[in-house]
Amino acid sequence: MKHPFLSILILLFLVQSCGNPIKDEGAIVDVEQGTDVVETPVPEAPAPVPATEVGDNSENEEYLGSWVGYFRKDTGNDGDYDDRSLFLDEGYVWDRENKINLSIDKIIGDSVIGHSVVAGNDRPFYGRMGRDGIADPMTFKVREPGDDKYDGAFTFYIEDDVLEGTWLAYGNINIRKRRYQLEKKEFAYDPDIMIEYAKQFVDWTNSIEEKVTEDYGDGEFEEWMQSQYATATEAIYEINASNRRLKKSEVDNLKKGDLTIIRNTIYARHGYSFKNRPLRVFFDAQPWYIPIHTDIRSDFTDLEKENIRLLLKYEKNAAEYYDSFGRG
Amino acid sequence: MAIGKAFSLGVYLALAYFAYLMALITLQYVPVNFDVAFLRLKEAEISRPYYQWSFFGHVYTSIFVLLAGMSQFSTTVRSNWPVAHRSLGMIYVGLILLVAAPTGLVMGVHANGGPWSQLSFCLQAVLWFGFTARALQLARRKDWPRHRAFMLRSYALTLSAVTLRLWKFGIVAVFAPPPMDTYRVVAWLGWLGNLLLVEWWLWRERNRSSVGT
Repeated sequence: MKHPFLSILILLFLVQSCGNPIKDEGAIVDVEQGTDVVETPVPEAPAPVPATEVGDNSENEEYLGSWVGYFRKDTGNDGDYDDRSLFLDEGYVWDRENKINLSIDKIIGDSVIGHSVVAGNDRPFYGRMGRDGIADPMTFKVREPGDDKYDGAFTFYIEDDVLEGTWLAYGNINIRKRRYQLEKKEFAYDPDIMIEYAKQFVDWTNSIEEKVTEDYGDGEFEEWMQSQYATATEAIYEINASNRRLKKSEVDNLKKGDLTIIRNTIYARHGYSFKNRPLRVFFDAQPWYIPIHTDIRSDFTDLEKENIRLLLKYEKNAAEYYDSFGRG
Repeated sequence: MAIGKAFSLGVYLALAYFAYLMALITLQYVPVNFDVAFLRLKEAEISRPYYQWSFFGHVYTSIFVLLAGMSQFSTTVRSNWPVAHRSLGMIYVGLILLVAAPTGLVMGVHANGGPWSQLSFCLQAVLWFGFTARALQLARRKDWPRHRAFMLRSYALTLSAVTLRLWKFGIVAVFAPPPMDTYRVVAWLGWLGNLLLVEWWLWRERNRSSVGT
């Protein structure tokens, strides 16, 4: 009867040495910047230059609008993996591409005004368009202001409803050159839209190292450290937090990964541009997702605000108490 | 074999450590705060005055119930300081019968995890009250062997506060199941395990003594 007690005792002492045994005090629940639920309405962020002004030359209409696709590394070769690519244990790869919304808002003469939303950044651009010959595609050279460290210049052409080009950063950032091939898409908030089977959600910023042993018999075995990441379950395909009020009973049995995705899907439906990388990579892969805004605080419906509150309560509880000595 | 001999130093140390952890848990609710830890998930309930009184009554007394019961198993204390045994015993019994068990029943009705766990906690509260009251009655009659048996049952349920959390910690560490599923399991394991252990122990004792010297 002594030994079971002592081994549990030792286990708990070890847990204690890593911090508070009854609560994970360092646990934080990420609430994306620009998404906090506020009771008093937030003054709307100055709307970016309004999209498509009808009254412009109708010949420019084909250029105006949101052009959406992936902003990829431009390394010169296709499918080039380098040390900036991300590989995880479960065959999960992220080659640093981000979904971009390149929005051409106004064309006056040959002057072009627009903005781009990508990876949590919403930046304006200005420039010129022109073509060499009548048969050549319309070429655009536009520049971002330069007061943000991720600013740069876009050079692209539009032909046959496809926008294709490159981007070069002003500063010496990690990925200086990007290329893209975009299609025009129209954003519409749809509370009913659900997550589809696309890229898996893997939160690679939070991992538990687990020792895995494979026994080959005859005293031969192999040991290695495997990282366990938070992932999500089928619940994310089933639970919609935008079109109905969630009940405690459908939320209280979800683990943190599910709660996080279900909550952030609300933001994704509003076109929130994610700064958090694992979330961004996950939502970028959803075919309906278009990054539109970096601040969506005034866009939530009352129903969504309530669901966000409920989900956050359970997320915080899971983060602080799931792994600890306690009933939580 | 007397219980006292079986309780080696290791067991007392373990109990002391768990009592310390339970004290840490209790301290989260000091001073009165309706929006902390467990209560964050009980918004609907904690808005009602009867639940407020039940919850805080239960949480503020249970730690003392746990501590008061701990030393009662020591034959040394019982033989040398019988008054201490009786005083701590009255504190133990009084707190359970007057506060901890009734409030536990109220909370059990509102337990998380649906009817399955609600049944477990309500059953626990009723048995806890029953065993403790019976043990008190038997002490008044000076029927020591039976008093002891029922106090063992009573403390088995008192200790479920600790064992429930230990089960949860272990199950999560090994299987990482969904939280409410885990809760529904440990709501039963927490006390059934202890009670079955005690019943087995008592049965063993009875059979040993009936074999004759």
